[in-house]
Amino acid sequence: MTTEPSRLEVRSLTKSFYGVPAIDSVDFDLRGGEIHGLLGENGAGKSTLCSVLSGLYRPDTGTVSIDGSPVQFRSPHDAAQHGIGMVYQHFRLVDSFTVAQNIVLGLRRGTRPKSIRQAESMVGDLADEYGLHVDPTARIWQLSVGEQQRVEILKQLFRGAQILILDEPTAVLAPQETDRLFEAVSTMVGKGHSVVLVSHKMAETMQYTDRLTVLQRGRNAGTADTANSTPADVAKMMFGDSRAADRREVTTAADVGETVLSLSDVCVTGDSGLAAVTDASFEVRRGQVVGVAGVAGNGQRELQEAIAGLRPIASGSLEVAGTDCTKTGPKGSAKAGLAFVPEDRLGVGLAPGLPLEHNMALKNHDRSPHSRFGVLSSSAIAKTTKRLVEAFDVRGNRRGMRVSLMSGGNLQKAILARELTEGHDVLLAAAPTRGLDMAAAEAVRAHIVDERAAGRGVLVFSEDLDEIIHMSDVVLVMFKGQIVGSFTRESLDVDAVGLLMTGSDPTVVSPSGSSIEIDLTEAPDETLDVATISTAEEATA
Amino acid sequence: MTSAIQVTPRGYAGPGVRFGVPFLALVFALVVGAVILRIAGNDPAEAYRTMFDSSLNGWTSITRTLALATPLILTGLAAAVAFQMRVYNIGGEGQLYIGAIAGSWVGLLLPESMSAVVMLSAMIAVGAVAGAAWALLAAIPKAFFNADEIITTLMLNFVALSLMNYLIFGSLSFWRDPKRTVPGGKRLPDSAIMPSLSGRLHIGIIIAVVAAMLLWWLLRRTSWGFQVRTIGDSPRAARYSGMSVRLKTLTVLGMSGALAAIAGVSEVSGVTKGLEPRALATDIGFTGIIIAVVARNNPLGVVPVSVFLAAIATSGSRLQSIGIEVEVVYLLQGLIFLTVTAGEFFVSNRVGLRAERRAEADGGIPPSAELARGVS
Amino acid sequence: MNESVLVLSIASAVVASIPILYAALGEIITNRSGVMNLGVEGMMLVGAVVGFWAGNETGSLTAALIAGGLAGVGLALVHALLAVTLRVDQTVSGLSLVIVGGGFSSFVGTSGEPGLLSAPNEVEVNPLLPQFMQDLPAVGPILFGHDIVVYAGIIAVFAATWILNRTATGLSLRAVGEDPAAADAAGISVIRTRYAATAIGGFGAGIGGAYLTVAIVGTWQNGLTAGIGWIAVALVILAGWRPWLALVGALAFGGLNGLGFTLQLAQVDVPSDFLKMMPFIAAYLVVILVSANPGRARRLAAPAALAQPYAREAR
Repeated sequence: MTTEPSRLEVRSLTKSFYGVPAIDSVDFDLRGGEIHGLLGENGAGKSTLCSVLSGLYRPDTGTVSIDGSPVQFRSPHDAAQHGIGMVYQHFRLVDSFTVAQNIVLGLRRGTRPKSIRQAESMVGDLADEYGLHVDPTARIWQLSVGEQQRVEILKQLFRGAQILILDEPTAVLAPQETDRLFEAVSTMVGKGHSVVLVSHKMAETMQYTDRLTVLQRGRNAGTADTANSTPADVAKMMFGDSRAADRREVTTAADVGETVLSLSDVCVTGDSGLAAVTDASFEVRRGQVVGVAGVAGNGQRELQEAIAGLRPIASGSLEVAGTDCTKTGPKGSAKAGLAFVPEDRLGVGLAPGLPLEHNMALKNHDRSPHSRFGVLSSSAIAKTTKRLVEAFDVRGNRRGMRVSLMSGGNLQKAILARELTEGHDVLLAAAPTRGLDMAAAEAVRAHIVDERAAGRGVLVFSEDLDEIIHMSDVVLVMFKGQIVGSFTRESLDVDAVGLLMTGSDPTVVSPSGSSIEIDLTEAPDETLDVATISTAEEATA
Repeated sequence: MTSAIQVTPRGYAGPGVRFGVPFLALVFALVVGAVILRIAGNDPAEAYRTMFDSSLNGWTSITRTLALATPLILTGLAAAVAFQMRVYNIGGEGQLYIGAIAGSWVGLLLPESMSAVVMLSAMIAVGAVAGAAWALLAAIPKAFFNADEIITTLMLNFVALSLMNYLIFGSLSFWRDPKRTVPGGKRLPDSAIMPSLSGRLHIGIIIAVVAAMLLWWLLRRTSWGFQVRTIGDSPRAARYSGMSVRLKTLTVLGMSGALAAIAGVSEVSGVTKGLEPRALATDIGFTGIIIAVVARNNPLGVVPVSVFLAAIATSGSRLQSIGIEVEVVYLLQGLIFLTVTAGEFFVSNRVGLRAERRAEADGGIPPSAELARGVS
Repeated sequence: MNESVLVLSIASAVVASIPILYAALGEIITNRSGVMNLGVEGMMLVGAVVGFWAGNETGSLTAALIAGGLAGVGLALVHALLAVTLRVDQTVSGLSLVIVGGGFSSFVGTSGEPGLLSAPNEVEVNPLLPQFMQDLPAVGPILFGHDIVVYAGIIAVFAATWILNRTATGLSLRAVGEDPAAADAAGISVIRTRYAATAIGGFGAGIGGAYLTVAIVGTWQNGLTAGIGWIAVALVILAGWRPWLALVGALAFGGLNGLGFTLQLAQVDVPSDFLKMMPFIAAYLVVILVSANPGRARRLAAPAALAQPYAREAR
């Protein structure tokens, strides 16, 4: 590819919040007709950079130029006027409106179609032109996530966006939809649009981009032609050196004991009234970590909630440490010996607006020593809090402060502290390291692994395949509400897990018997790096 | 270069802010009131002095103020307990009428010779139960269908009002005194009237203050209150830790309705001494909601706030003598509500001027997404 | 026949429905932008007293309505400041408005020498249409005997329906009420839209109040609206935020008072207090039915972001 002139040029851009730079003297340029990957860990400054480019934030210093002339955006509308369109990860569509209504929404007189009929036909034409097929008269709530994303992209194209910024576009998509998305993206590029692909997925970045830029701690860690880069190089740019080695801890299997969690034919209904989990059967034993891998939205949340008693089990049965907990609710599961670290730390695991003391007593406030005959003992609660804070190294709390002001890592440690000091037999941990920085994630994993060593059972859910693989004795794969695969440490086949996660049948691709055994301590460098990166990335979600 | 207003959420508001802001808001309202008085051709200083004299200066004034504060404390508590759980009972008005109807029913029904202690206890108990039941008309749909309680409780207010009007003006009911030419309620027997402490002040004030302390203790010091506060902050966290949100919705709204109804019993027994719709329908329930907000749902805060508002309300009694209409008091009361509720924004947010070129008037307030999420 | 009780009571029901209609239409516009303003009663009172004052000063119906409407706007903007900019709880802010409106109107009503309380009505309200149309049997008094405000109100219903459903302005307004973040992302100013919609609500309530004093009651008394503002709030819910259903409801509620009298003639004894409960019981039941059956009742459901404050960062 020849060097084309820059469509968009960013020079030494800095934006600070409360005096802390989120991006610091960042340079970035986007050429006409290219797909440019923007990579970085959670908090590396990707979203801040995008927010500046889309006119949401104003930079403190630095310049943005389009086609060589400097521009200043006062609002997202302003940025749109200059041909920059942002497609957010969380769609900004009005659910009750039609596709066409959403697309023409907010257009000024002169640019908007004369009637809704005209809008519908224009949207239809545009959709055909770019291969972004969607019915212009359909209401948003009737559409799949992939279709809604197409509406968002069409909305930007309709407004004349020449530069599209796609923020983690594949995070919400099924594999087939991902393919369709990139087909449309290449159509756009063919028509002269430029695309910024914000991602922390190594594989898709390597596959689809022309060039990539890596942000690390708010600074540009380098821009490179994708064709000339290896995943290992990029990983190094993202994490610095000596990152990969940290993840390669040797895990020792403890003695496996009795069953502490058992599900048989569990079916759970989702919020929409459709089956979210179908016939899930498995067990977790003492001294064992069972990891559930799967792309988000395949019934994991519903299954977790069912095990924790938060969601009714439609059929089948659930036993926690020998007690039947099929119909006993959250209290029953906890009482039988289940510790639960939920996916949403703030809002489920913790009450965000209340102080740490309150949250530490959340589950056992009504028992001695925290209360007697319904009367609370604040000194006992304070004592418990102090003990837990010290044992789990929870920092950043001030007396009476609402917990939502604490950092993610400390929140997670606080939840673990509360959950793991109750008398429990099995720990259910959902996305335990999501969004945490590396040190905190490591600490959380250490606690989980300690549970196994202490002879308790662990069931861990994570979208981070690498994390699942390196902690688990048994790996289960969940797809469309079903457990579609089960591997022991010995039989583990990473490729097969990956295929099952995306709904493919591994027996077709790699015939049974030829499964590749992966040595966890001596994984081939490249495989490991790719996997490592795909881990850190789940962070943002 | 223009300066723009920058707003950032305050993580933690110290006592200076929490008490200083409402105080400044109050001062602001009084200043605006003074300006209006001046425009209307009156002397604000003289007006305020007269108002102070008639509400807080001297024992008689104070007893009148406290008498007026009594039902306000109770409806304020009714709102506060519900708001603690973020259940918006704005039906205090109607629950108060129901309490008054039920309480006076008991007072008129039971034999006059009954001892006052038994009589009053029965009136309060039945009134409270009736108020709770009336609140359940909103609580049950809320608990089972998640029906918006703001609207259901609001609508039930007017149903209760019409019901009370019907009993006195629309029919020859048990409550109505047939001997009076102007429709009015039968007078309650002496044993059903709350004993006076001094002048108009009756023992209702003691009930109200005790209720405030009891409610504070329940919310702060018991596991029941712990759960209510947890649900108020985060219903999902509450469910996660095994609390029954549904049951608490029913009990808290029921308790809220009972408290408002006790205000009705207190009024009917201590003040109007019979079911008198005109005298009972004076926005006591609605005012209680604003009191709860100003007191930040703290039961102990409800007491001083109610007394203060009652002082404003009684302060008009002597204004006529200096040629100012009593109505100025209502205006002032409204102004105080507005400024103090607006002040809450400045308690929870830090507002400052920032020098930056920023043309957008409706502009955003951009703290970092990363920082705002609190991710390390 | 045009003197018959039935015809006259229907004709007066039409007139009585007008304050409710204007207030409810305004509240629908306000609500559709996501702002809940429970202060309708307060805004009507302020509109009523200011309208009456202006009518007395000028003798002009137009002046009275405009002054009343603008007074309503003034109070509504206070609500917008509190609820939209300062993100105060909208319920609390609305209730404060009721109390402020009541206080302000009583204050204005008693101020000055001589006060408005004893003032006679100086505004003359005339039928709009030619005499021969008014003289038509039955339909004359019922349909053709009214003043311009009545017909304007009915036109306003159609205008509001058309604007909400058929224009870009209406689309933007509804987007702000359904999903302010999406509207913001599409370049619509949420703040400006909500201020405007709240002001329109105040204008409607103010006109309703002014019409009540100068055209229906003809005097000023403290608390003159006597719950009409609340009926309007109930009606908005009942009508599922739809202008033409609000027209139907306003006519029905306007007729409730006269209905008691008519029923008595027909020897049916329904106490008027029970008739007064009807709007509120109906709204109460509708809310419960919609919640219990969200799928089927989608069309009658409230705007999704109703009463939710919006700040750009809060996503």
